[in-house]
Amino acid sequence: MDLHQLWTILATPDNVPIVLLALAVPFYTWYGLRQSFANDRLIAQLEADPALARTHHRKTQPWRPEWDREVHVWPYLLRIEFLAALIVTVILLVWSILLNAPLEEPANPNLTMNPSKAPWYFVGLQEMLVYFDPWLAGVVIPFLIIVGLMAIPYIDTNPLGSGYYTFKQRKAAILTFLFGFLGLWLTMIFIGVFVRGPGWMWFWPGATWDHNRLVFEVNRDLPFGALFLAAYTAAAAWAIHKLITLTPFHRKIHARMSRFQYLVMQFFLILMLALPLKILLRQLFRIKYLLVTPWFNI
Amino acid sequence: MTPPVKDPVIHSSLSRPLAVSALLLLLALAWSLYDETYSIRPWKSYQSRFAKLYSRFLDQASAGQSELERNLKASPDYRALDSALQQSERESLPAVAAIDRQINQQLAPQILALNEPFQEVRSRIAALTYQLETSRSESAKTDLRRQIDQLKAETRFAALSAQLQSLKDEKARLLQQRVELMRPADALRARRDRYLADRLPGASTATISALRTSLTNFDIRIRQIHVKDVDLVDRCESCHLGAREPVTLTKASMGGEAVFASHPNPELLKLHDPEKFGCTPCHGGNGVAVASVEKAHGANKFWLWPLHAKENIQAGCQQCHAREILTEMAPTLNQGREIYRARGCIACHRYESFDREADEISSVTQQLRSIDQQKSAWTREAALSEAQANDPRTSDEDARKLLAHINDLKLRASLLDAQVDTLDTRSRSLVREVKKTGPSLKEVRAKLRPEWLPVWLKDPRQWREGTKMPSFRLADPEIRAISAFLWQSALAASPPPQAAGDPARGREAFETRGCLACHSLGEGSARQGGNFAANLSRIGEKADYSYLVRWIHNPRQRSAPYCAFEKRDLTAEDYRRHNLPFLFDLDHSRCPNDGHELQVQQMTPMPSLRLSEPEARDIASYLMTRKHDNVAYPDAPYLTDPALKSQGLALVRNYGCANCHEIAGLEEEPRIGTELTREGSKPIDRLDFALLTAQANAEGWLTHKGFFDRKLQNPAIFDTGKEKSAQERLKMPDFHLSKPEIDSVSTFLLGSVDATVPPRYFNTRGQDIADGWWVVAKYNCMGCHQLHPGQSSLLQLLPQYQDADSRDRLPPTLIGEGARVNPAWLLRFLANPALSDTLTDRNGVRPYLRVRMPSFSLSAGEVQKLARFFAALASQAQPFVAAPLDPLTASELTLARQLFASEAAPCLKCHMTGDPKHDARATAPSFALAPDRLQPAWVRRWLLDPALLAPGTAMPSGLFRREGDRFVFAGPTPPAFASYPKDHADLLTRFIFKTR
Repeated sequence: MDLHQLWTILATPDNVPIVLLALAVPFYTWYGLRQSFANDRLIAQLEADPALARTHHRKTQPWRPEWDREVHVWPYLLRIEFLAALIVTVILLVWSILLNAPLEEPANPNLTMNPSKAPWYFVGLQEMLVYFDPWLAGVVIPFLIIVGLMAIPYIDTNPLGSGYYTFKQRKAAILTFLFGFLGLWLTMIFIGVFVRGPGWMWFWPGATWDHNRLVFEVNRDLPFGALFLAAYTAAAAWAIHKLITLTPFHRKIHARMSRFQYLVMQFFLILMLALPLKILLRQLFRIKYLLVTPWFNI
Repeated sequence: MTPPVKDPVIHSSLSRPLAVSALLLLLALAWSLYDETYSIRPWKSYQSRFAKLYSRFLDQASAGQSELERNLKASPDYRALDSALQQSERESLPAVAAIDRQINQQLAPQILALNEPFQEVRSRIAALTYQLETSRSESAKTDLRRQIDQLKAETRFAALSAQLQSLKDEKARLLQQRVELMRPADALRARRDRYLADRLPGASTATISALRTSLTNFDIRIRQIHVKDVDLVDRCESCHLGAREPVTLTKASMGGEAVFASHPNPELLKLHDPEKFGCTPCHGGNGVAVASVEKAHGANKFWLWPLHAKENIQAGCQQCHAREILTEMAPTLNQGREIYRARGCIACHRYESFDREADEISSVTQQLRSIDQQKSAWTREAALSEAQANDPRTSDEDARKLLAHINDLKLRASLLDAQVDTLDTRSRSLVREVKKTGPSLKEVRAKLRPEWLPVWLKDPRQWREGTKMPSFRLADPEIRAISAFLWQSALAASPPPQAAGDPARGREAFETRGCLACHSLGEGSARQGGNFAANLSRIGEKADYSYLVRWIHNPRQRSAPYCAFEKRDLTAEDYRRHNLPFLFDLDHSRCPNDGHELQVQQMTPMPSLRLSEPEARDIASYLMTRKHDNVAYPDAPYLTDPALKSQGLALVRNYGCANCHEIAGLEEEPRIGTELTREGSKPIDRLDFALLTAQANAEGWLTHKGFFDRKLQNPAIFDTGKEKSAQERLKMPDFHLSKPEIDSVSTFLLGSVDATVPPRYFNTRGQDIADGWWVVAKYNCMGCHQLHPGQSSLLQLLPQYQDADSRDRLPPTLIGEGARVNPAWLLRFLANPALSDTLTDRNGVRPYLRVRMPSFSLSAGEVQKLARFFAALASQAQPFVAAPLDPLTASELTLARQLFASEAAPCLKCHMTGDPKHDARATAPSFALAPDRLQPAWVRRWLLDPALLAPGTAMPSGLFRREGDRFVFAGPTPPAFASYPKDHADLLTRFIFKTR
């Protein structure tokens, strides 16, 4: 266990945001979900008590019958936001005093540093380069991610859950987000920052980043990969369909969707699931490509 | 009833968190201001500390100084000067006061009064003139001209201008007059001040008080040197404030803070003005950074040019002085270069400007070969074309074209011949210049006892202390294979057997002929002599007597010549085929097969001492007695085992033996090491720390210095822990360098960087001197001669030359040689130090010296380099033009002859005359050589005071005394001299040179 190495990686000013991210994101996920579950209980209470529902319009917890139905933005929201702004400013000031921008040596076009890493917010993309061709990982997939994010409002036919925290009413959306953001994007950033060492080799945290390390890894193309790909697409489509029509509520939402909305959603979800699958195939079975064509490889 | 719970959104008060956050923000703001002002600007506290310490230092200095100054001012000399000054001032006072009065009370107010209206009018005229020049219509021009004329007339401009000019002239005349009046007083004041300055060791109180005044307005700010055209910004002096102060500050005097000390070598700063050179080009470090000491010194991982460590400080010289072998004031760097050159680093690691001869000779040989190919290709083409032209099917038109083409080819081939001639001429010089670090191994069979070879290879240092040969980490089977290969690849020829000599006489010759300037004898504390060449204490154990005789008689003699063009040693058979005698030397150096230059000499710097054969036999006999008693070497029957030969060849190739030694079949082996010309700026990632990387990183030596130091200390260190086959292991042998030696080589390598300054900063002055040092170092001239003040030759240090009159037995000092001798003569002398083609067993100039000036067989280029070197060292104008001397009149000739032969002038007592009986006892060079050899100006200076030019010379000083503006002979002069009005030294000089 090379604690010095671990500390060097954690304490690099460039990596401090990721360390903070690793703490802050789970906390706020928990915090948001806690509020969602509280609200969900309120929703259940209101649904069970139509009389109360008629008088009560504030859908967030905590609540009391005698409290105002509505509160004004000014001053009740803005004063909290002002407080938050103060605290964030203090944090930023102290951070900027304590940690300087990590400047490195003058650029030398003849010499690439090893490991050479993208800024932290792009390390996930860089990590994808391990699994896909540069054109796919660098151009096509980021493009589809952006298009997919843009498409969300258009394929979201669920009218509930706007303006308050709820889990019950937006289960599918929240789980998809958690899977995509925490499970894929942040995980890849963590791998890229903390696990990838010289030669972009896999070093478990605490292992010494040895520039001379040699590993034996041979990646092979999967025979009949196209069939596998087709089978995956069919299975994923079927599984996604099963999932989003699991409960009567979701069947109702599904019924509101047009055929086009449904197909777009399927397309992006199948694609999203394919990413971790490829990562697992590579890491566990050393599969290089599923589909090899003269123009592109998957 | 529970009290009603109030809505926290509305009723909870945020005052407390808001107040706390606001307070925190305020604190953070204060902290950031403090950080901005002090924490990230540590130089501010340095500056305030400096101001305090410096003013304290100046107080103390002025206290000590003023005491001394008071005493000096009270001295009668000073008082006399001072009163003379006051007297002179008093004398000139009335006249000066009158002038001042006239200027201040009359002229100045008048000029002032006139000046303003004059300038006003002139500006108006200028503005009108501009309008006139730029207006387009003729009528407007006329109008403007009229206006100008009118203005001039109204203001009487011409008169005004003339009056003003006359007033100014008058003022200038008066001021000039005042200066003339004050001149004697000013001269006296300068003399008085110089008197004081000469006797005050430190700065005068005036300087100190000026410094104090400047300190009162001491301004805390970044102090930077900005050299615009190099893009250099050095802020080092923001903390190192004392570096360039006019008084010397030490760590102790500045309260123990070394950061404020003055630059330790102001002489260097004078040569390299910081305003032009900055600090970081020499010292390294990050000149722009001021945020912390580490950053400014470049001690972070990401700065490629960190501050040089103290022991490597001279590394900074190398980037601009890269083409020199000797840089003044950089002894460590010089030592590093010398080790790199002499110990054979250069043999394996190319380095620009080192060993240029070897690179050039291989390029010349390459060119010769490619020209040869080109020529044969053209010959073939010409033959084909001719056949085609003669073919009846070819039309006349085509045949004509072909014939023209053939002529063309022949012409071009003739041009190639000219090129070949040039290359051959060049290689004729080069084969003389190129030297190998180690001895030729082609001669091992003639030279060595076979059993000795494996013993030597096992551990050269064990057998001969201080040897240049490094220790390779060889296993016994490897040693056997290498020995067998060397033995079998060597030439079979051996020199004719020699009769025995007299060891006693040989010993005397060895100790007096100058062998010890390069070679040493004796081991341990008994060791004596130079380390330029081998220690000969055990030579008798290994050498073949006949070979040794041949070597001492002429070390350059080879058993067979080597043809670089054919890549082989020639044999007698080659010569016989062309009906030529098997004779090869510097005068017979053409290959009988192809006409190209041969290597006819051993590639050793060891010169020929032009000893007679009997003397060579004596010395060899003496050396054969030098051995340890009862040493037995194990038999080595495997030396002749042919199976080992190919194995040995692979090993010899692998270890690069042929880089230092001449080995048959491996003459053109490339250097096996990496080039080191830019090693100091090689990216650190490309230095292979191997398995020690993590350790080096943790211990802080993952740096160039860390790499060089450790690699030189233990060349195999970066194999630690590696699983490697014998061939893959690091090959660099162990040179057994001491700590200072390692530091010096590290210094050299750390300085070998891509220059951070443009090439115009490189030192190109004194190119002749720099070139000369290379030749001097190559042949170890400094073993026998003193070349610059402060250096002593090796011979000078030997015990046999320690007594007073032994100086006369030493070779002459060469300080000022360029001013002493005529360069044309020097060229002849260096080419043939015997100054004779027949009487070679002697010194040309000083036959009375036992120490022999050897023949180095220098190439023409080297001889010229040396001549220019001596001229440049003595600041002589080049080219040399002999100053004409007035011819002696008949009476002067008589006078001079009388003086020369008189009893009082003992010239002929010591100087050689050409009379063999006299010359046997003479101890100074012959006058017959002087006209050719010497420069008259030097001879005159020499006559006047020889001890000044060569301290300790036997030539007596004080032969002449000054009388008015001429020198006259100090002893009793012949009576005829009474009426001779001219300079006696001059007369004697002209007499010496009369034969020219």
